[in-house]
Amino acid sequence: MSSMTNMKQMEQKLQKADRKQSRLYLFCNFMALMIISAYSALMLSPTVQKVFPKGGDSAKQMYMIFVMTLVGCVVFTIYALGLFFRHKSGQLGILMALGASRRRLAPGLYREVIFLSGVSAIAGTAAGFPFVQVIWQSFRLFLVDSSDMVLTFDFRCLFVSLLFLFFVVGFACLTAWRYLKKTNIMEVIREEHINEPVKEPGRWCGPVGVLVLLAGAVMGYQAPGAWHAWFSAYPPAWAGVFYAPVFPGLYMVMLHTVVHGWKSHRKNPYKNIISRSMMKFQGRQTVNNMLVITLLVAGGCFAVFYVPINAISALISYASQPFDYFYNYQADQKAPEREEVEALGREYGLSFKDWKACEYVTLGIGGNAVIEEEDGRSYHIEYVEMKSEAIVFSEDAYRELTGQEVDVEPGTYFNLTNEEESTLFTNESARGFTNMVTRTQLATRFAGYLHFDLLVDLNRDCCVLDNEDYALISEGLTDDWRGYFVRFNVDGEDSYPFANAFYHRFVSSFDASCERPSYYDRVQKIQENEAGKVYWGDTDDMTTISYDMSDSFMFRNFWVYQPDFRILNQNDYARNMGVMFMMFLFIFLVCMITAMVVCYTRCQSIAINNRYIFDDLKKLGASPAFLDREVRSQCGSVFKVPSLVGTSAMFLLFSMILYANDGRIIGTEWAAIGACLCITAAIGGVIYTVYRFAVKVIKGQLGIIYVRK
Amino acid sequence: MLYVKELYKSYETGKNKYEVLKGIDFHVPLGEFVAVMGPSGSGKTTLLNCISCYIPFDKGNIRLGGMELAGMNEDELARVRNTKIGFVFQDFMLLDGLTVRENILVPRIVQGEVEQEAEKLADQLAAMFGIVPILNKYPAEISGGEKQRAAVARSLINNPLIILADEPTGNLDSKSSRAVIETFIHAKQKMDATIFMVTHDSFSASFCDRVILLKDGSIYRQLEKREERSVFQDRLLDAIKEMSE
Repeated sequence: MSSMTNMKQMEQKLQKADRKQSRLYLFCNFMALMIISAYSALMLSPTVQKVFPKGGDSAKQMYMIFVMTLVGCVVFTIYALGLFFRHKSGQLGILMALGASRRRLAPGLYREVIFLSGVSAIAGTAAGFPFVQVIWQSFRLFLVDSSDMVLTFDFRCLFVSLLFLFFVVGFACLTAWRYLKKTNIMEVIREEHINEPVKEPGRWCGPVGVLVLLAGAVMGYQAPGAWHAWFSAYPPAWAGVFYAPVFPGLYMVMLHTVVHGWKSHRKNPYKNIISRSMMKFQGRQTVNNMLVITLLVAGGCFAVFYVPINAISALISYASQPFDYFYNYQADQKAPEREEVEALGREYGLSFKDWKACEYVTLGIGGNAVIEEEDGRSYHIEYVEMKSEAIVFSEDAYRELTGQEVDVEPGTYFNLTNEEESTLFTNESARGFTNMVTRTQLATRFAGYLHFDLLVDLNRDCCVLDNEDYALISEGLTDDWRGYFVRFNVDGEDSYPFANAFYHRFVSSFDASCERPSYYDRVQKIQENEAGKVYWGDTDDMTTISYDMSDSFMFRNFWVYQPDFRILNQNDYARNMGVMFMMFLFIFLVCMITAMVVCYTRCQSIAINNRYIFDDLKKLGASPAFLDREVRSQCGSVFKVPSLVGTSAMFLLFSMILYANDGRIIGTEWAAIGACLCITAAIGGVIYTVYRFAVKVIKGQLGIIYVRK
Repeated sequence: MLYVKELYKSYETGKNKYEVLKGIDFHVPLGEFVAVMGPSGSGKTTLLNCISCYIPFDKGNIRLGGMELAGMNEDELARVRNTKIGFVFQDFMLLDGLTVRENILVPRIVQGEVEQEAEKLADQLAAMFGIVPILNKYPAEISGGEKQRAAVARSLINNPLIILADEPTGNLDSKSSRAVIETFIHAKQKMDATIFMVTHDSFSASFCDRVILLKDGSIYRQLEKREERSVFQDRLLDAIKEMSE
């Protein structure tokens, strides 16, 4: 006798029989939710938020890739749901044909989709937290650890996950409702076998797509600069729209891949006709999936290239710096004297040589400044007498400190830049300097550049004056506007413990007046206060620097008197940049995992949708070698083209950025490009491994037994 | 029993509109076994799908057992499909996750609780169509002919007014086809079933009491069987030949 006597029992039995499809849907949803939940948890965690400067480029990149991943996951879950319903519709259609009304089918169907989508979404959201913990702790254990890297969560991130969760469940219910609403029962029954062919474009589609894509990339990249030049205004947020051609270009490339492929068919036009036809008839979904995979691979590469591009140039510059220890302090601070430093060195078995301490002053410097209009968007360039702070040396002090010969004519100044003359802070337009205590002014003109890497990137101009001019303008300055630069080398091998101890002793010698970041400008503050305004640096959170956190990312990167101790910088670089680098590494992992899951699922649907064709081909006498080639050909298109486009687009973009910085690519940048190339090769290896695995699984599902020799 | 009057149905593809049924008129009395034949695209399956309310039609009337189908709402149509019509598909349409017995019982389950009487009827139908040994097997484990016989048994479980069969032998070999046609004849003889079958196969059609020939959405000719089956098949083939000239 039958154990199944009512609708509920029948639905349960059918659901049990369909567990393979349900598992695929559960898996896809779970992965999407886990990834979004993990990404938002880390992105919005206080650990990351306090390191990524608000409104900074890195933060923007992090949010941009998040949006991309979110879009990818949305498309992916919709696709997974489509796969689930393609199978389910056959069942629904049969039951409708046998007289089950929508009212009768609705409770069971809604129960099933709410259960599947709800459970997978809740489990995925919950799994996001352990997932991010495991990866982050692995980073801390195996790669880099610091006090900055202690992971804490702000559970407001759940808001993002919950929104996505509601979307997944809501969309599943909406799809169920749409199926139940269909009046053509035959359409519901045949849904599983309905193809989604794409309109066949000409063979021009791919090459034109590449051109459109490149045009979009160049236009998008150049648009902000052109906006500045043409309108003397900050580009509006919508200027990103100039990147828009990238998407149709990408679509055309993928469409060409699906419809024509990139190999010439002239010699043997029938060679890939079957696999190409199969792809064409599921073209719409294939192209959509390939677009998502491309974006995710591109996002992953963007994130992972960030690390070598930043790290290699920094590490190379540390290695090439001319002094082991280079630091400065305000004259009113009690920084360790030479005797004290030498005594500390002896404790670590070190002796020093090349010791020099040279005086400098901080003055107001004139120059062309960007003056914002009242609308806050447009601006004009205007010369102002006190543009910002400048560190100023006499020619003797500079000669002594750097060992460089310099002769400055009275009434002129030299400006400091690096060897490549590529730094942000250079000033050729100053017509004078101002003593901020006595308000005496010294008229000057630009005489040229001097090159000394350790005196650039201080977030302020650095200049050299004639000795007499220097004496004149610095007369009457109080100690808080005076200071000393000190440099020395270790006689023999340096010691990290010493550098670390000296660093902490150095920091502790400063009082609260120096607890400020390097971009805090005292000249601007005085002017703002005199005009009855509050200086932005006194209000913004970004300026918060604390002696209590002298090993934090913020302090080490932004303290105004942060010293350059070579061995300390080299050893602590990864630790100082840890949160930022690990966040980008995490983004890379998330993007690549998502991309590979989408690739694998797409390949799975090739097996599900084309099973009949493969069976027919077998009946028509196709050899296992032929079937093997067909599977490889289709999976290959799904994996290879998006990966190739995604990685090369990002590689070209980064190369373009490096080139556009100063119109050339310098030594350290070549090294970074080389590292990116190696990473690209490694990514290619991983993708190939997943591709091999997917092919193996699909061949198993289609019953193709063939081992390539 | 089944009255079809002035039935029109068209499909729209993009900007093009294709008229598939152009004013079909016919009547099938209780207990008759009728076949519809015609070339591909003549509207056979569309006609069947309209009668079974699987697809909406543009214009006309379909009356089944005194009930007018055109004005019915979704629930009423579902009830008609469940209790008044038994359907046999070309590709069987059995639910893969259920055994043959459970598949036969599906229309009863859709109706409500399955009682012992329904299970007894399922077993009787299985015995009548020679599928008792496979009752506990799943569709993937049985042959095409067995699947179709199970589908015929399913179509009869609710004692419908009419069985609508769409190419029921289309996917079967000649031996299985014959077995399926015999189940229809059995149902007609033993259960007084009315059967309306769409087919391409003149051999299957030759078992029917009447054959409606459809051409370009209209009835071309109707042939009634008054002679031996093989002679009727020859007459049928001649009519088909004439129709395609």
